[in-house]
This record gives sequence, C-alpha cells and structure tokens, in this order.
Amino acid sequence: MKADPRDVRTGTFYIDGDVASAEGAIAAGCKFVAGYPITPSTEAAEAFARRAPQVDAIFIQMEDELGSISAVIGASWAGKKAMTITSGPGFSLMMETIGLGAMLETPLVLLNVQRGGPSTGLPTLAGQADMMQSRWGSHGDYEIIAISPDSPQEMFDYTIKAFNLSEKYRCPVMVMSDECVGHMTEKVVIPAADEIEVEPRRFYKGPKEQYLPFKPDRDLVPPMARVGDGLKLYISALVHDESGYPIMDCEYKEVYIRRLVDKIRLNADKIIELKEEGIDDADVIVVSYGITSRVAIRGIEEARAAGIKVGNLRLVTVWPFPEKRIAELANRVKAFVVPEINYGQIVYEVERCAHGNANVILVPHGGGHVHNPDDIFRAIKYAAREEKKIDGIIEYKTTLKRLIFEEGYKLHE
Amino acid sequence: MKYHPIYTCFADAIKRVGVDPTKVCVVSDFLCQPEITDYLGVDTFHIHRGRAIAFGTGLKLGNPKLKVATIVGDLLTLGGNHFMHAARRNMDLVVICVNNFIYPKIANEHVPIDGSTFSLYATFERPPNIPHVAKSCGAVYVARWTALHKTELTESMAEALQKTGFSAIEVLLPGTGYFPGIKELEWASELLKFYHMHSVKKNGEDTRNVEITSDKQIIVGKFFVHERPTFIDSYNSRLTQVLGDKFKPYGVIRVSSRGNL
Repeated sequence: MKADPRDVRTGTFYIDGDVASAEGAIAAGCKFVAGYPITPSTEAAEAFARRAPQVDAIFIQMEDELGSISAVIGASWAGKKAMTITSGPGFSLMMETIGLGAMLETPLVLLNVQRGGPSTGLPTLAGQADMMQSRWGSHGDYEIIAISPDSPQEMFDYTIKAFNLSEKYRCPVMVMSDECVGHMTEKVVIPAADEIEVEPRRFYKGPKEQYLPFKPDRDLVPPMARVGDGLKLYISALVHDESGYPIMDCEYKEVYIRRLVDKIRLNADKIIELKEEGIDDADVIVVSYGITSRVAIRGIEEARAAGIKVGNLRLVTVWPFPEKRIAELANRVKAFVVPEINYGQIVYEVERCAHGNANVILVPHGGGHVHNPDDIFRAIKYAAREEKKIDGIIEYKTTLKRLIFEEGYKLHE
Repeated sequence: MKYHPIYTCFADAIKRVGVDPTKVCVVSDFLCQPEITDYLGVDTFHIHRGRAIAFGTGLKLGNPKLKVATIVGDLLTLGGNHFMHAARRNMDLVVICVNNFIYPKIANEHVPIDGSTFSLYATFERPPNIPHVAKSCGAVYVARWTALHKTELTESMAEALQKTGFSAIEVLLPGTGYFPGIKELEWASELLKFYHMHSVKKNGEDTRNVEITSDKQIIVGKFFVHERPTFIDSYNSRLTQVLGDKFKPYGVIRVSSRGNL
C-alpha cells in the first residue's frame, strides 16, 4: 500500500533528525503520539504535536514515560498507528510496558534518541549505551526489532520502516537513534506519497464469533483486532492461549508464548538490513551502527590509504542481530573492529557470532562525543597486523585513555 | 468463586444506561480476578500493574467513541500518578478504585488500616483519602460505596457511565478472588459485613471529611458531581482558538447527557 498523500509533506527540507523522524511517522500513517519531554528527543515530539492537527492525529503529553507507553499500547488497540518518543531515563521507565507490548503483540514504534548515561548522565550529548537494554530490558522472553539510523534522511526513511515492521510482525519496534543524529541538521528529501510503501494494519476479516486474538497465520503473526468492533476481545497480559484467556501452564507457555520469540527469530532473514561495502576482499571488517558508522568511514578511508583491506559492515537492523552473516564473515577475515559509544555492548554479540574464528576489537567511547576517527584507524591497523588469535574481546586503548592514564594529561580545572 | 459484586453492578449499570456494549471497554490492572470481566460481554484488557488509567487514556484518544472504564486499586499505590493526572486533564474515563484491605487480622476489628501484606504486625500508615484526591485533582463525579451497597453502587456506576469526564468511584471490597481458601473466604465475608456495618451514608458530604480511620465510621455516598470540559473538548477549543477554521476538531464530541454514544 502507498502512503496517504494528505500525510506526506513532499519536498526537500533542511531539518534535524528528530523532526525528520516525526515526518516519517506521519508519512507512515501514525495518528497518535504520547510522550514526556526529554532532551534530546523533545524536538521530535514537538514536530509531531505541531503537525498533528493537520493530519487528524493527536499528541498528548502524558504525566510520565510509564503513562506514555501504556497510552500508546491503548491507542494501538483502538486502531491507531502509535509511537512514543524518549531518551535514556524515560526509556528505562518504559521497560515493564515494553514487555506488555510484546506480550499483547501490539504494533508500536518507540523512538529512543540516546544520550550518555547512566542515570541522568549527559542529557544534551550523545551515547549509544542503551543497545542491550533495548533488547533485554523487560523481564521474560520476548523479541523486539531495533533499527539504528545514521542521518536525518535515514531518520525519515527508517521511521517509516519501523512502522512497517511493527505492523507486519505485531511487535514493538525501536528506532535507536542518538543525540548526534537527532540534533544534526541536514538535507532531507521527502518523496511523493506514491513512492512511499506503507504496511497497512492486518485486521481480522472473518466471522466475529470465530475470532481468536492470538491465533497466528502462517507467518506466525496473528491478525489484529480493534476495540469497539464488537469482537468481545479478552486480552490478558498473563500467559494466555489463542483466545487471550490466561492459562498458567508450562506446556501452554511453550505452545503460545514461544511464538513471541519465534515470529522474529524465524523471520530474521526478512527483517535484517545491512549495508556492506568493500567486504569481498577485506582482511578487517568494521562493524558499526548509528552515528558511529559515519565516523568510521573516515577511519576506513585512512586505513585504505595506508594499504589495508578494510570492509565496512553497517548494522541498520541491530536487533535481531545478523548472527549468520557475522559467523560467515568470521571464517574469512582476520578481525572485526567494533567502535561504539559505550564500553562494549554490540561487540559482545559480534564476539559470540565470530565463534573464535576472528579477533574482535572494541573501540570504546564513554559518550558525550563521537569517536576520534584516528582511534578507529589505529584499531584497524592493529587488527590487520595482529596474526595471533586472541580469545575474548580486545579493548583498544583510545587516545583519550592513553592521554589521561599514561601521559599525565591534566583534566580541566 | 465467580461472584464479584463490582462486575454484576457494572453489568447492571451498562444495561440501565443502555450504552452499546460493543463500545464499552474495561481495562483492569493487577487486582481483579481476570476471567470475570469476560461475563460482561464487552472488550476487556487485563494488563500489568498500575497502568490501567494510562492505557485507558490511549484507548479513549485512539477512539473517542469508546466508553472506557478502568478498574484500579490498592490505595492508588501503583499508578496513583495516572489517577491524579487523568483527573486533572478530565479524561473521559470511569475509574473504579477497588480497595481491598485483605489483611489477615479481622478479629480485632481494626481492619481498614490494619496490617499490610508484608507486615505481620499492624501497619501504622494512613490510607489516602481517595475521594478527596479525586475531587481536588478535578474529577467530575466522586463516590464511595462498600461492595454490599449494591443498589447505590449500580446507581453510581450508571451515573458515571453517563457522565462525560473523569468519574471516580471508590469501592471497599475484600479481594476474595485471589484468596480462595475456606478460611480466607470466611474472613472476606466477615470483612464485607464489617465494612457495611461500620459505614454511614452521607450523600454530598465534603470530601475533606471522608478519610477512613480506625476510630470513626466509614463515610460512604455520592460526594461530588460537577461539570467541566474534558481533555478532548479543551484540546479542540484551544486549537480552534489558535488555528481558526483550518482546524478540524479531533474525535466526536458527545453532546447528549443521556449516555448515547
């Protein structure tokens, strides 16, 4: 299905990533946003609130993030495409309800413009340290999808994709952006409505009395219902069977709840999107996502100028993780270099999937800035030189760390 | 244990008001016996602890034609903030706040504030004055009944369903559903009787005077009825003011006070 022309503000704009994401949501047919202001995501909520009256949508500023995400799930069951917008501390508050979203198989999109943490952390500065939380934050077994855009244009494009995936797989989808991308102002081209593919909600169309809210189709995803259509929904957050009724039983859990995990895992190949460049003859591959993937390009160029064969693997979809592809590449490269603005998160996944066949080098960053591209370049140089297989993750010592801990650099007084 | 006075009253209220049951949605959080809502024949959600009011806010804004009732409880501990703020913005919700002081010390008759689930000794904490919280936050309908005041409770629920805006009804009821053992059942029915015997009906009583304490009678009644614009009404009037004719009002504003949706 194509996007509704009334929702698409076609044209070329000079806007920041947050605003682009709000435009993407509107183009995807989002009609409900609940949020609570938090830097650096506020601009996205503001942009949506400004545009909402023009597209028959509504924005509500809830009392907190617990309320925001609960309202989003409610609105989604009322038949609206819905999104919430937040950053680190708010994201932490939402965790319990993200589990509810997964359990009730509710399509929803969550934009997390990451900032430095932990706790209040670095409110106006970048971070990428919520990546593991996005995957494992709520209790219990579930799977979500997470996408990491690296430019305002991608914020627009991938917010639409996030809505499409959430409707297709009936699960929470997270757009894991960061402060740099959120606040970066660049050219964004919004195409005509007939060039934007939008996944419509798959509503149940059969006889009313036969509807079972959690009876899956062949792709393991059940058709959705809408409150108020007279289907007498009974939707429970307890372990439930196909009808939605609670069943406290180990066998039933295996039958009905395992599907929450399987519907993503078994469809992973269809969900995962990677951007690869120069992989074929590479000795070293840089694995990165979000803003770091743009910083990494400079390091990769420097390394290529120095005669090192470097490939660039960019994770557009971070979750589900591209396990197969990493395992495949590990058999034919020397090492992976993983720069990320945290002290090691996605690097653990890379290490797990490399199965000891390639070295894995982390280029950490505490947040507040992006990497110094020279650090990425030097890590690549080291990776290309190192002939030994080294167990575990090798943490590259960044310039900043060397300066502070070895060269007597004095902090600002 | 399929008997649950709140739902029988609620079903009667739906019938009396004559709302279309397909447009009614009940959201309950942790404390209800979940299967029971099914007998109402309306759309129901049984969600995680404390977020029913926020979830209901989303449902109502997602489809303003719905009549959303949320069932919350436990002295507004989890989700108390949603209660206050939904009342403040006058979301069109019926909030039934069930306070089940299920505590194991009926014998010494200090039930309403005696004991807490974690404490083997009597608690020293005060329960909140929920009708007063509701009123001061801006609710348009405030009442309190015990579960044995069946006629009055049904009447209140019917009135709340007809009312546009945030209606809060506190119900004193032991949570028998989760304690199906015979001994607990005896306690529960005794507790019900205790509430009923120790309550005094005072319609229109100032909510400042209705706090539940161990030395006074429990005051029940319909305390407060008021009119003010709901969230959607205020949103529409404000945006019409700012944007003029360009603005198309959101949702369908219910004008009739007779409960027709």
